[in-house]
Amino acid sequence: MMNSPMIECLNVKKGFGKRNILNGLSLSVPKGSVLGLLGKNGAGKTTLIKLLVGLLKADSGSISVLGESPWRFSEGAKERFGYVPQREKLYPWLTVRQLIEYAGSFYRHWNETLVEQLIRQWRLNEQERIGVLSEGEAQKVAIILALAHEPELLILDEPVASLDPLARREFLKTILHSVADRQCTVFFSTHITSDLERAADHVVLINEGAVSFCGELDELKEQVKRVRIMAGDVTVEQLQMKGVLACEHTDGGVVLTLKDQQGDALQKLEQQFGQAMHVENLNLEEIFLELSR
Amino acid sequence: MVLDPKSSFHISTSSGVPIYRQIMDQVKIHIVSGRLKGEDFLPSVRQVAKEIEVNPMTVSKAYSLLESAGVIETVRGQGMRVKFSAEPGADLKDRQEEVLPFVKEMIKKAKQLSLTKEEILDAIRSRWED
Repeated sequence: MMNSPMIECLNVKKGFGKRNILNGLSLSVPKGSVLGLLGKNGAGKTTLIKLLVGLLKADSGSISVLGESPWRFSEGAKERFGYVPQREKLYPWLTVRQLIEYAGSFYRHWNETLVEQLIRQWRLNEQERIGVLSEGEAQKVAIILALAHEPELLILDEPVASLDPLARREFLKTILHSVADRQCTVFFSTHITSDLERAADHVVLINEGAVSFCGELDELKEQVKRVRIMAGDVTVEQLQMKGVLACEHTDGGVVLTLKDQQGDALQKLEQQFGQAMHVENLNLEEIFLELSR
Repeated sequence: MVLDPKSSFHISTSSGVPIYRQIMDQVKIHIVSGRLKGEDFLPSVRQVAKEIEVNPMTVSKAYSLLESAGVIETVRGQGMRVKFSAEPGADLKDRQEEVLPFVKEMIKKAKQLSLTKEEILDAIRSRWED
């Protein structure tokens, strides 16, 4: 069952004044996947997300979300996705309950049970005014508003940045349930890589406005390895390895971070160094640090 | 018997080992140890994903790789079942296979520390009963 992608970007460019933010970015998000967007501050994550929800217009290139151009979303398409912006304090004079009812009135489908469940779980006071909520509480309300109409696609810009670890875990659980039960597609940016390890199956790394990796998280993890060779006199030049992301000479030997090792390159090294060599898997945070040097 | 996902799968997100591999390894361990027997059903992808809080695609990837490895099979409308032939129960070789990576690692460390075979076996013996 191959569906057309939920999100597709082709050679997207966007700048503000003289500053180019996105320089020909391309990516594709399959239906039912949970995609984590990673990148340093200023890499263009928020700009990309605003383009995807139609809050900004690309200078060139094409963007398709739910089969439509976000800049000209139909009402139907708007009902099919949910969006949590990075910072939101809408309508400070409304209470939490009033805001939920107001937002709900725009949608044909609204899961009140889910809303009440999350309000209870996150201990929100429905009578509180939005204006006096803490950042974390406001973020929780924004998440509830994005989830309540049970959209096919969720686009979230650092949804968990202000949440405490407990609330973050509950948020991820809710997301994973929507994915398991309704095959919801989720696109979210974050700096908390450990959250992605659990929830995401796809990752996109952006660096200086272009995609440096787009694919399965597992694939990324299998591509990048750290190799320690504890043979005092060895240098990286002697090894003549391809795909060296980083290397460090220490007293005892050399530590390499390698990407895309073809075929038996690692086995050859192992034959050469035997027990002096040690291959380590890296977690996503370590990979991210190595790839964004 | 149906496996309870929460107590049967322990996922570490910081280890760097892909989660689907961890699930595959743990299913195999349950089979080798006899906790899962031939014709036992595995919990559904959805159930596992929700209980251990991982992405459903990750679970289904682990299951389909186990299926193509001939460890489990799909029963239409019922789910994934441990293959009869995959039940090694008491097979010593399979169980040894599971600890092999750790043994290799231990030998490597021992050699780095210039411990002899006897010395490392002594270390194992003295802790075995704990």
